Amino acid sequence: MEVFFREKTKSTPRIHFDPEKHRLEISGESYPENSAKFYSPMLQWLEAYLQQLSNEDIHMDIELIYFNSSSSKVFMNFFDLLEEAAGKGVSVEIRWKYHPDNDIAQECGEEFQEDLQQVAFHLVEL
Amino acid sequence: MMHQIEQFYEQLRHEGIIFSFSGPVSQSLLEGIGETLRQKMNLEETSTSVTQKVFSIFVELMQNVINYSAEKGVIGGEEQDLSLGVLIIGKQENHFYIQCGNYITQDQKGPLAEKLNKIKSMDKDELKRYYKQQRRKDPAEQSKGAGLGFIEMARKASQPIQFSILPTSTEKDFFVVTAII
Repeated sequence: MEVFFREKTKSTPRIHFDPEKHRLEISGESYPENSAKFYSPMLQWLEAYLQQLSNEDIHMDIELIYFNSSSSKVFMNFFDLLEEAAGKGVSVEIRWKYHPDNDIAQECGEEFQEDLQQVAFHLVEL
Repeated sequence: MMHQIEQFYEQLRHEGIIFSFSGPVSQSLLEGIGETLRQKMNLEETSTSVTQKVFSIFVELMQNVINYSAEKGVIGGEEQDLSLGVLIIGKQENHFYIQCGNYITQDQKGPLAEKLNKIKSMDKDELKRYYKQQRRKDPAEQSKGAGLGFIEMARKASQPIQFSILPTSTEKDFFVVTAII
């Protein structure tokens, strides 16, 4: 499988998914005009990746300064795919990183955490 | 209008308006104004939390205009993929406010009023539950966004969001929404 990479722009985050190291990283801001369209290749990649996975642990680092409501829906969808994999026995760790003065990023992380049971979802203050 | 621009400018300033924009709205315009807005709030030492809330409501409102305005740019009689609207951001008595307006069709009117009345009647906990519930739902078919924008705004605002749908002399109505942060 190939690495999935997107360079950061003003309204979209840097995305770096490494299928060899099983590391998924997202950082930056997310408020594209059409979130569903922008993130569709990323979700497709994740589905394909999860399908070919055998016994490896997945580590994800996510640091979002700001994201709009339509991105929030995409991320929920994204975490739900990982949640499903975790339910089938894959070990998934998600580290939600935020700066101490960004209460909103912290709150958003807490709200994802509340909705996920199978993955290990950690809040990490930077 | 040509000779009144100074008056117009002074009036805006007098009313505490930081930004005003009227015309075609695009994603690149949103990104530009958004960046300047953050810079300005930063310089004035606005807290990160307030800056984030203002920015968030601003993005949701501008993207609403982009996705749902019933007034489009027209070239040679043909409607283009360019939405028109009006937006002001101001500060009054220590509160930031954002007001946004655009034309809507008769078909949009009913569902929009219903949705906003529902949101208006909710307290913060109910809004949180509604947001989470809608976030896991498949989007409505004709919806270009996720249908979460107004809930998000209501959660970030310090007072219930206000809206009005005003009849005009045309077949379209004018939709105005105001959020106070």
